[in-house]
Amino acid sequence: MNTPCQDDNTVVAETSSLGMQLVARMADITRDRIQDLALENAQNNLAAIRNGKNLKALRDIRAGEGDKAIVIAAGPSLRRKHVAKQLLAANYNGAIIATESSMLYCLRHGIIPDLVVTVDPHPTRIVRWFGDPDLSEADLKADDYFQRQDLDAHFSEALRTNDEILELLNKYGPQMRIAVSSSSANSVVTRAQQSGMQVYWWNPMYDDPDQPNSVTRTLLTENSLPCVNAGGNVGSAAWMMANAVLGKQRIAVTGMDFGYYAETPYRNTQYYYEALALAGEERLDEMYMHIHNPYLNQWFYTDPAYMWYRECFLQMAAHANCQTFNCTEGGILFGDNIHFTRLTEFLAA
Amino acid sequence: MSNLLKGNFSTKKPVADISNEQETLEQRFEKEALKKLGGSIAFVAKQEVLWGDENTSQDDQ
Repeated sequence: MNTPCQDDNTVVAETSSLGMQLVARMADITRDRIQDLALENAQNNLAAIRNGKNLKALRDIRAGEGDKAIVIAAGPSLRRKHVAKQLLAANYNGAIIATESSMLYCLRHGIIPDLVVTVDPHPTRIVRWFGDPDLSEADLKADDYFQRQDLDAHFSEALRTNDEILELLNKYGPQMRIAVSSSSANSVVTRAQQSGMQVYWWNPMYDDPDQPNSVTRTLLTENSLPCVNAGGNVGSAAWMMANAVLGKQRIAVTGMDFGYYAETPYRNTQYYYEALALAGEERLDEMYMHIHNPYLNQWFYTDPAYMWYRECFLQMAAHANCQTFNCTEGGILFGDNIHFTRLTEFLAA
Repeated sequence: MSNLLKGNFSTKKPVADISNEQETLEQRFEKEALKKLGGSIAFVAKQEVLWGDENTSQDDQ
C-alpha cells in the first residue's frame, strides 16, 4: 500500500514508518552529529581564513556566459545519463558549479568547473574527493564508505583512483576556484591550498542569525565571513551559491538523485551500517522510503538523510528568486517550484 | 520493611526513581547509531545568505 507525503503528492511506499520518523528528527540528529566538530574546525581554520579570500569576492567574478548555471553533484545518475558528454556535445558555456565529490568526474572529462563547493566537516572522508596524500590500505579497511556506495565506481579501486585525483588536482587546481566552508577539516583545507586552488571562505548557517544567542551570528562576528544556508548538504549549497552568490537565474541540477535506483542493494547505501544497527535486518525495509517518480514512472528509494535533503531543497526552492530545473533524470527530487526536465532540453533553451 | 524506612522529613522537590531514567543498552546503541546518521550540515528555514555587511539577514523573496 502506498501513501502520499504530507507536503506534496509524492507517493511513498507505506513500509517506511521508521525512516519517516527519523526524517522528522533529522535536523536535530544532524546538529548533534556535526555542529561541535564544524565549529571546532572553524576555530582551527581562523588563521587560514584571515589570510584567505572572502566568498564576497565571488560576487564580482564572471562565471560562465549568461544567466544559466549547472550544478554537478555526484549521485548515481551522473554517470548513467552521461552528463559530461551532453555538456561537451552542446558546447555549453554557462556556469558550472561542482560539488567536491564530482570533481574527479569533471576533470576526467576535461571539464574545469567555474566553482567547486565543499562543506561537510568530516575529518577523513571528504579529503578523499581531493586525493588524500596519506591514504593507506589500512584506512580503506577501516572505512568502506566509498567502496560500498553507488557514488563513483572508480573509488572502489581506491588507491589507484586516489593517485589519479591527486595528479589531476595538482595539474588543474591552479585553474580552479573553490568555496571552502569554515567547517571544513584541516585535511581538506590543506589539500585545496597545496593543489593551488583559489580558496574563497564562507560559513554555513547553523541557526537563524536573527535569533538571540545565534551560533551563526557569533561565528560571523568572529571570522567576518558571509553565512550561507547550505540546505543540509553540499549539492544544495552549490545550488544556493549559483543563485545567491553568482546571481544565476536559471539553474539546473544534475546528479542530484537524493536516492538510489530500485535495484541498488541496501548494503550499497551511505548509512547501511547505521540503518542495520537501528532497525535490525528484519526491519531494514522500514528505514528506507520507496518513492515513485511520476515524471519517469519509475521507483527509487532513499534513506532518512537524503529524504531530509529533499524536503530542505523543496523549501529553499519555494523561496528562491531563480528557476530551478532538475535535469538529474533520476531520483526523488521533484515537486513544486522544480521543473523536472531532460538536460538536453535545458541546454537547448 | 516500610515501617523501618519511614523518612523523618519531607523533600522540597519530588524525588524521581533514578533506575527508570538510566539509559538502557538499547538506547545507548541507538544514540551511537544516530550520531552517524545525520546530514552533512545544517539547514535553516527561509534563510538565504547573511553577507555580514547589512544589519539583518537577507531573507529570500
